[in-house]
Amino acid sequence: MIRVLFFATIRELAHGKEATVQGCRTVDELFAALSERCGDAFGKEALEGGSVSGRVIVMVNGRAIAHTGGGATPLSDGDTVAVFPVIGGG
Amino acid sequence: MTGWTGKVLRVNLADGTIRKEQLRTRDAEAYIGARGLGSKYWVDEVKDPMVDAMGPKNNLLFVTGPLTGTMATSAGRYEVVCKAPLTGTLAASNSGGYFGPELKYAGYDMIVFEGKSPKPVYLYIYNDTAELRDAAALWGKNTHETTDAILAETDPDAKVACIGPAGEKGVLFAAVINDKHRAAGRSGVGAVMGSKNLKAVAVRGTKGVRVADTAAFLATVRAAREKLAANPVTSAGLPAYGTNVLVNILNQAGGLPTRNFQTGHFEEADDISGETLSATLLVAKKGCAGCTSACGRVSKTTGTYAGSGEGPEYESAWSFGAACGISDLSAVTKANFLCNELGIDTITMGSTIACAMELFEKGLVTEADTGMDLSFGNAASMVEMVKKTAAREGFGDRLAQGSWRLASEAGHPELSMTTKKQEMPAYDPRALQGMGLEYATSNRGGCHVRGYLTSPEILGLPQKLDPDSIEEKPAWLKAFQDLTASFDSSGVCLFTTFAIGGEELAAQMAAATGVPYTADDIMKAGERIWNLERLFNLAAGYTKASDTLPPRLLNEPIPTGPAKGKVSRLPEMLPGYYAVRGWDESGVPTDEKLQELGLSRL
Repeated sequence: MIRVLFFATIRELAHGKEATVQGCRTVDELFAALSERCGDAFGKEALEGGSVSGRVIVMVNGRAIAHTGGGATPLSDGDTVAVFPVIGGG
Repeated sequence: MTGWTGKVLRVNLADGTIRKEQLRTRDAEAYIGARGLGSKYWVDEVKDPMVDAMGPKNNLLFVTGPLTGTMATSAGRYEVVCKAPLTGTLAASNSGGYFGPELKYAGYDMIVFEGKSPKPVYLYIYNDTAELRDAAALWGKNTHETTDAILAETDPDAKVACIGPAGEKGVLFAAVINDKHRAAGRSGVGAVMGSKNLKAVAVRGTKGVRVADTAAFLATVRAAREKLAANPVTSAGLPAYGTNVLVNILNQAGGLPTRNFQTGHFEEADDISGETLSATLLVAKKGCAGCTSACGRVSKTTGTYAGSGEGPEYESAWSFGAACGISDLSAVTKANFLCNELGIDTITMGSTIACAMELFEKGLVTEADTGMDLSFGNAASMVEMVKKTAAREGFGDRLAQGSWRLASEAGHPELSMTTKKQEMPAYDPRALQGMGLEYATSNRGGCHVRGYLTSPEILGLPQKLDPDSIEEKPAWLKAFQDLTASFDSSGVCLFTTFAIGGEELAAQMAAATGVPYTADDIMKAGERIWNLERLFNLAAGYTKASDTLPPRLLNEPIPTGPAKGKVSRLPEMLPGYYAVRGWDESGVPTDEKLQELGLSRL
C-alpha cells in the first residue's frame, strides 16, 4: 500500500488530505490512478502528456522525484508520496 | 536625481539639531540604496566596526531604495542599518508595509541618526519640516499604543516606525515595528534605537517619486508584473496560503528543525501549517505598498490565547511551533502578536526559547531558574516567556540576550542554534546542504534571506537542485547572495525573485534613475555590497572560524524523518565558496577582488 499526502491547493483538487493506493509501480502509474479517482480537475493539474506535470512538486519518502527519475521513479509498498503545488515563501 | 530623492535627513540626537544634505550620488549609483547604501554610509561615517553597538557612536539609519514608493514591482521596502548588538556584524533589517514609501513621499532617501538623546524623543517629519518631539509619555507603551498615540497627535495618515518595551530595555533582538505589524526584525536594530532614547519615527509625505523616463518605466514595470502574474508562486501560492505554506513541504523533506534542531521532522507539523491557518485563524490577506502578492496574514485567536494582529509567517510559525515542539497554532499566533506589540524578532525569540527548553530538559537550567516548567511542548510557558523577555523579568532577562549568550552562561554554547550569534531560521542544513553554506557564510549570522537556496533545493525555482548535492552550491549561493543584496538595496521585495531576476530589476532601475543599469551591473553592485559587509565583519573580529555551523549540524545525523542519517557537509563546500568569491583560503577578499569592486579594507 502506498500512502499519498496532499497539500495546499492540491488538497482541494484531491478532495482530501490523503489517500492510499495499491499496485502502482511508478509515480506516473500512481498519478494516473489518482487522476481517475480524484477527477478531472486533479488530472488537469497533475498530469501532462501521461506523466507528472511541472505544476506539482512530488516527493517519495522525502526525496523530490526531480532527482530520482521523475515520473519513472519506482514505488514500493510502504512508500509515502507527498504532492504539492509549486509554492514559495520564506 | 530621479528614483532617489537626492536628500538625506541627518538628526543629531545629542544636541537636537536636524539638517538636510545632498545624497552622495556616486555612492548611490554604486551601492543602490537601502541595505547597500546604508551600510556604505555607516562605514564611511562611523568608521570603526569595533564600536559599541549600544553606545552613542553607533549610527542608526532608516534607508529606502531608489524604487521604494514607485510603481515598480512590490517596491514597499526599506532597511534599518546599524551595528548589530546581537551579532556585532552590520545589521541591515528589511521591512515592508507603508513606512518606506512615505519617507520617499516626504522627500528623503534616508535618515541618519547620530548620538544619543538625553531624554525619550520621537522624530516627526511632514514633508520639508522635521522636529524632535518629547516621547516621555510614550515610553513604556507597546508598538500599537505608541503608533495610535503618535497618529493622534500628528497626522492620522502618517506612517510610524517605533520600538516597544523590548527595544527600550535593550533586548538584544528587539525589532523596529512599522505600521503596527511589519518588522525590521533581525539582529537587534530595535535595541539600538532604544539605546538612543529614540522611541519612534513618524512621517507624512505628500510628494511623489520622480522617475527618469515615465513611459519606459511603466513599460518595464508592466513587463515585470506580467512575469509575477504568470508565476505560480507570486500569483497563486503566496496569496493563497502566505509564506506559512512552507511548513509541510519542509517537513516532508525532513528539513523542518524540531525541538531546537534535535531532529528535522515534526510529527504535528500540519497543525501549524499555512493550510491550517487558512482554515482556522485567518481573517484576511494583506499586502505591503504596491504589492501584487499580498502574502501577509491578518489573524484572530480566541480562548486562552485570544488576540488579533498579523501573522504568523512561516519563520514565526516554525520558531514558536516546531522549534519549541508546540502544535497549538493559537499559542504560536499569540506569541507572534506579542512580538509585534512588544517589538521583538520572532525568529530569535522562538529559537532562544527552544534553546532554553533543551537546557531545561537536560537539567542545565532548572525550574528554580525559569520559574516554570519549560519542557518542549509547553505552550503556556512559551507565551509567558515572550512577555518576560520583553520586560526583562526573571528568566526573561537571560532570554533577552539571545540563545548564544544564554547557552554559554549555562556552559553549553553548542546548544545555541546560531551562526555568528544569530539564530538560524526554519531550514535544517542537514537536509538542505546549500542552506548550511548559506547560514555559515551569511554576513549577519543565521539568516535565510541573504541567499535563499531553499528556492532551488526544495521549491525547484528557478531550477531544481538536489538538496543533498554540494558541488554546484558555492556558485549558486554566490549568485543568490549578490542578487539578493541588490534587490534588498533597490526597495523591491525579495519575494519577487521567485519570478523576476537581475534583468527585470535592472530595467526598472534604469528607467527610474536614468542610470543605465544592466543585469551585470546589478550583480556587480550586489557583490560590492556583500564584500563591504564581509570587510566590516573581518574588521569587527570575525574570522574564517566563524563561518561555521553549530557542531550538532556537522556531527549529529538527523535521527528521525525523511532526512534521517544526514549531516551538513559544510567543510567540503566552504573552500569552493571562498574560491568563487575571489577570497583567499582564510576567507579574506583578495586585493584584486577589492580593486575590481572599488573597495578598500576597513
